[in-house]
Amino acid sequence: MLGVGGPTFLTTKLDFVINWARRNSLWPMPFGTACCAVEMMAAAASNFDIARFGMERMAFNPRQADVLICAGRVPYKLAPMLRRIWDQMPQPKWCVSMGACASTGGVFDTYSMVQGIDTIVPVDVYIPGCPPRPEALLYGLLMIQEKIREESLGRHGALRAENPLRAGVPNATAEQVAGLTGPFGNSTRQNRLSGLVRTDRPDRPGDRKP
Amino acid sequence: MTDQGKAPARPGSALDTVEAGPAVAPGLPVRLAAATTPHPSVDALRARFGSAIHHYEVSAGDQHVVYVDAAKNREILGWLKDYPTQHYDLLADVTAVDFGERRPLQVVYQLWSIPHRRALRVKCELPLTALEIDSVEPLWKTANWLEREVYDLFGIEFGGHPDLRRILMPENYAEGHPLRKDFPLRGRFSRAEQTRRALSQDVHDHYIPSELEVGREP
Repeated sequence: MLGVGGPTFLTTKLDFVINWARRNSLWPMPFGTACCAVEMMAAAASNFDIARFGMERMAFNPRQADVLICAGRVPYKLAPMLRRIWDQMPQPKWCVSMGACASTGGVFDTYSMVQGIDTIVPVDVYIPGCPPRPEALLYGLLMIQEKIREESLGRHGALRAENPLRAGVPNATAEQVAGLTGPFGNSTRQNRLSGLVRTDRPDRPGDRKP
Repeated sequence: MTDQGKAPARPGSALDTVEAGPAVAPGLPVRLAAATTPHPSVDALRARFGSAIHHYEVSAGDQHVVYVDAAKNREILGWLKDYPTQHYDLLADVTAVDFGERRPLQVVYQLWSIPHRRALRVKCELPLTALEIDSVEPLWKTANWLEREVYDLFGIEFGGHPDLRRILMPENYAEGHPLRKDFPLRGRFSRAEQTRRALSQDVHDHYIPSELEVGREP
């Protein structure tokens, strides 16, 4: 009903009030798996103090949390736990991918590591850094607040609501995940079939030979 | 005026020795005691087991390594654990090494004797075609999880192990044993397949049936 026929005085004021309430009491669900989690703890401590932005309560319970902060690398063994925690969070919910490993896999381009948690759960804000400073985490959370400020009830269904039938389903399609996986960077000359990608580069003493 | 910034020297303090330099006269060679001391267990092992003790080396100065017959590992390690003059009662680590190029895998037992304060490293070599060795779990209970880790990452089967299954990799992992040199760095499946398999893990896979019964109402 609300929002049909464009924004009106009532809906815009209602949007403002609801978004004001939502963005100023975000409860983070800390999913800290590595050194990024230490920076997240520093951001929660008194020096940086995310309580200034209404996030004083770290909800170690997904059912009482609004924003998932995934801080650190996620191995494949942990992927179903991350997905289940995300599915257990009530809507509306937001997700922050903190650090290089959570966002892209980072230097861990290996057999055991998820190459970006956006293949598992939808992500709203990516924070670069290895690890990011607490200021960067605060900036990312302020961007979440900006995102909430821009939302409206009329478009909320399209923006935030998730299909409950997709619980436990990877966020990215198989084609999208496959697009992540060319032999790239300086990490290795291996591919997963032969173990060795032939290039014209000369062998160096430290090169791995499978 | 007293000289400021200089601590008054106490008579006979350790700092005097440091300033005076080493007590050894210059020109005398410094002897590393550990490197030249023969390990007391090695001769005893040779006398007891003969040709089952393949060879012996000292690496990194004071690390004494004995290569033994893989078929007799439990007998030899059991003797090292229980024989009164040996008494290696602490198994610090079980691990394995793959040097690549189809060379045999080495299973490494790092022993420590608490009463004698002695360390000994025992290695067994296994050809890649027969990765089987007896479990030492009956001797040291800590070998249970350590051998599970070696099995998980290297694929070495431990005969007589009570619960030989993966410990680090997911239970439904089907790409092989990741620390082997012939294992490709990114795994054998595509990323999409790896993601799909990861999300299709069953939480019950992480437990054995008796663990799932813990705390359940009768």
